[in-house]
Amino acid sequence: MTRHEKRNLRVGLIFISPWLAGFILMSLYPLISSAYYSLTDYSVLSKPVYTGLDNYRALMSDELFWQSLWNTFYFAALSIPINLVAAILLAVLLNVDLPGKKIFRTVYFLPSLVPMVCLGVLWQWMLNGQMGLINQMLSPLCDVINAVLGTSVNPPNWLADPAYAKLGLVLASMWGVGNAVVIFLAGLQDVPRSLYEAAEIDGCGFWRKTIHVTLPIISPVIYFNGIMGLIGSFQVFAVPYVMTNGGEGPGRSLLFAATYVFNKGFQAWSMGYACAVALILFVIILVLTLLATYVAERHIYYAGK
Amino acid sequence: MSSKTAQLLQRFCLYVLLLVGAVVFILPFAWMLSTSLKPLNETMTVPPRWLPSHIQWDNYPRAIEEMKMFWRYTGNTVYLCAMTVIGTVLSSALAAYGFSRIEWRGRDKVFVLVLATMMIPFPVVMVPLYTLFRELGWIGSFKPLWVPSFMAGAFNVFLLRQFFLTLPKELSEAAKIDGASEWQIFCQVVLPLAKPALIVVALFQFMATWNDFLGPLIYLTDQSDFTLALGLQAYQSREGGTDWHYLMAASTLVVIPVVVLFFFTQRYFVEGIATTGGKG
Amino acid sequence: MPAPRVLIFGVLFVGIVVFGFWLGETADDQVGGDRIVIEYWEKWTGPERQAMADLVDEFNASQDRVYVKFLSVSSITRKLMLATAGGNPPDVAGIWAADLPVFSTNGALTPLNPYAERAGIEAGDYLPSVWAQLVVYDRLWALPTTPSANALHWNKRLFREAGLDPDKPPRTIAELEAYNDRITRFNDKGDIVVLGHLPTEPGWWNANWSFWFGGDVWNGEDAVTATGEANMAALDWIASYPERYGVGPLLGFRQLSGVFASPENPFFRGRVAMALQGPWMYNFIQNFAPEDFEWGVAPFPSLKAENYGTSLVECDCLVIPRGAKHPEEAFAFIAWLQEPAQMERLCLAQLKFSPLAQVSENFYARHPNPHIRVYRELAESPLARFRPQMLTFNEFSADMGSAIDDIMRGAESPEQAAEILQERQQGLFRRKYDNWQKVREERMKEWDQQ
Repeated sequence: MTRHEKRNLRVGLIFISPWLAGFILMSLYPLISSAYYSLTDYSVLSKPVYTGLDNYRALMSDELFWQSLWNTFYFAALSIPINLVAAILLAVLLNVDLPGKKIFRTVYFLPSLVPMVCLGVLWQWMLNGQMGLINQMLSPLCDVINAVLGTSVNPPNWLADPAYAKLGLVLASMWGVGNAVVIFLAGLQDVPRSLYEAAEIDGCGFWRKTIHVTLPIISPVIYFNGIMGLIGSFQVFAVPYVMTNGGEGPGRSLLFAATYVFNKGFQAWSMGYACAVALILFVIILVLTLLATYVAERHIYYAGK
Repeated sequence: MSSKTAQLLQRFCLYVLLLVGAVVFILPFAWMLSTSLKPLNETMTVPPRWLPSHIQWDNYPRAIEEMKMFWRYTGNTVYLCAMTVIGTVLSSALAAYGFSRIEWRGRDKVFVLVLATMMIPFPVVMVPLYTLFRELGWIGSFKPLWVPSFMAGAFNVFLLRQFFLTLPKELSEAAKIDGASEWQIFCQVVLPLAKPALIVVALFQFMATWNDFLGPLIYLTDQSDFTLALGLQAYQSREGGTDWHYLMAASTLVVIPVVVLFFFTQRYFVEGIATTGGKG
Repeated sequence: MPAPRVLIFGVLFVGIVVFGFWLGETADDQVGGDRIVIEYWEKWTGPERQAMADLVDEFNASQDRVYVKFLSVSSITRKLMLATAGGNPPDVAGIWAADLPVFSTNGALTPLNPYAERAGIEAGDYLPSVWAQLVVYDRLWALPTTPSANALHWNKRLFREAGLDPDKPPRTIAELEAYNDRITRFNDKGDIVVLGHLPTEPGWWNANWSFWFGGDVWNGEDAVTATGEANMAALDWIASYPERYGVGPLLGFRQLSGVFASPENPFFRGRVAMALQGPWMYNFIQNFAPEDFEWGVAPFPSLKAENYGTSLVECDCLVIPRGAKHPEEAFAFIAWLQEPAQMERLCLAQLKFSPLAQVSENFYARHPNPHIRVYRELAESPLARFRPQMLTFNEFSADMGSAIDDIMRGAESPEQAAEILQERQQGLFRRKYDNWQKVREERMKEWDQQ
């Protein structure tokens, strides 16, 4: 190394030292000690007692753990695509030059600023089967359906019915789609006008332009949002926690991975077990992200390449 | 039908579509506001009433009173927001500079680690972190909630690095020829130019702290140390059921500062989110 | 060289952190002067809180050595465990006796035996059903504040309207269900208008229905018995509700019963005629029920006549967390509260009965609740029960709630639900139990040294 290189290395390390400290203390250390605690029986106050792979063995046959994973994936599989489609659709619409465009953008964006706890409280109220606004709007719809088809459909008891609870949560999450809309809007600004003009000459309409020109170009943004959504679904905690008053929802339909770690660690005080759950979650996220990156590299259009 | 009228019709349909969507997005806010101004018995009707028969402003002071230390919570939250914003902006800017404007061996390999840590959700590390802070004797204090922000979160480093990379190299080089040190370049050249990006990071951090629930839930033990989010949840989940009108009033009070902040900093918000759009 | 400036920046950086440390330390308000200040966390809110606050004021005025700082804390069990683990617990905390097994096993509490002995406090001073729940692993962990016993509460007007004798409550489950069928009414749309009784209204003791069916959910030592005869009979009984009244109507009915402490409470509104409830109902009925609300209290019906008079006795209690800074002073305060004058004032103000064996002559005369003796007699009865001191009872309870929910929704048969519950909870409990056995001896030694 030349003197210059040495100097650069030293200065560079000084500059990144806050991050380095954070990396060691906030990421590396917790992961390593998680691995250790996961091999012990550890409640907050007493010293960890080494139990080998006991926790993992119990985990394999722990239906609640599998259910929390299933719920997390179910929610991810439902909410990520719906939110992506909704966000892209809204972004495309909001990209058209219309009077009042700015106001629209603000209106669609505002809900994504609502703090999670407020969101949970508000949607618990919106989704109340009897007194909530959602069913108030759905019931005339049901009446029409019933009148036409002679059926007797009723609006669901969202948060009291395992078949609908997660759907209710998806509705609530859709309300906060504004964040993604803005990201896509920015992505849309990168689409060269010339491509649209060329497509127009080929006789493409609005939708065909969107599908054949816009989507491929914003595909990196879609990928990024998808990954963030996936990681985000492993953090879903506050909204279902608030909606169920700290519970797990009907038939445990709102028991998510993060909730389960919390319940095991800070409710049942089985911290060793909670660490085992957390580590498995980490491995799953790692594998999924690598997989997504692998797939993405083959299907994503990068302007530079 | 000429193509011009067809286009006009299309635009009209689009407009209506957006308008309907906007109404749908506004509705929950309206419902929250309407409930927060109703008397108790009107919140409990089946089917629900859209509007209160008379506006009961009194719900707001009552909700504040019911939440006990509402102002204390607000103070705590503001304190935490201030500390985390300062910490994040300072530390992330430093780290981002080190990852973008200085060439050192292995830099890009280390940066992959930054990206990798973005993938670790908080629930995965919360138990050992709790243990760590416990060893430090920080449980029940604000420290676990703001000290980490002085250690440059990956997402913010990533965001700022992207921005720093867009600044032309020539700027630094010119300053270097003038005899400026790395530090002077950081303070006098890069930071002033990066103001919009720094504001974005500050805004994001403010939002994150204002929002945070799980952190305060496991680290704060003393009721008088609660943040607004935690206080609201404690109020909502207290035994003996729910007073929806007060709860909605309290929620409105927690939402309002964020919305006000948004209106003052709208430009940065949108710009900021746009630049995070994974253009990396 | 950039070093000096970096240094300045570094100093600034560290300076802000230090400033944060200094500012973040919530300045303890200097109450109490030079007295020893003890911190007391309590879960109560509203009038119950006020009742204790008055006594705390009186204690503070009664002497000049100790000053009690009284704080209301929500989700107290978690907060207390977190604070104790974090090494910064309060000196006194008010929790529920049902939490004592978990707290003591985890080493979160100070054993009170030596303190109690010195103060001359002993088992004979209290109702046996109360004292028994304060003792875990042969050690005393808490002293009581206000106990309760649950009982059948019924709406006399609804009895009358159904042609039943309003002064003759059901004594067996069979009678209860016969009454139930007489009282329950539907409207034209098929919605339930009035229900005689619903086990999930309020459903606060879902894990303990087996008591009224002559059994328990564990064997008292090392095994969960969710599939035992008593619990199965209880679950079959619960399953009879969706069978008789329909899953849909019951679900709709339950959605309407959101707010307990309001005029919208289904019991006060006359939507449910009979409910398993506790002594606090007097206060809520005074505040929220219609003027002409007529109600009675009697033991909850049981499956077999010989078990009539069973109830679940619960008790709020005071503990000294491990690591408390002033255990002696904390105990002095707790002991002062145990004196009959203070205890009876607290119980009167909270509208409960006294946990003490001896009750002063005019206690009942001064008590506003005309039914208070019913609860007290239930707690005195040899049939009185309390929550199982099972290490995983909280998990069991949540799981049972979930199972009952499944049964009420017709998603599972009682047999299925119970089998799943049994297997899962037995596994969970066994693991905790076995791990406890490993450290038991050592822990006991620690306690005896404290």
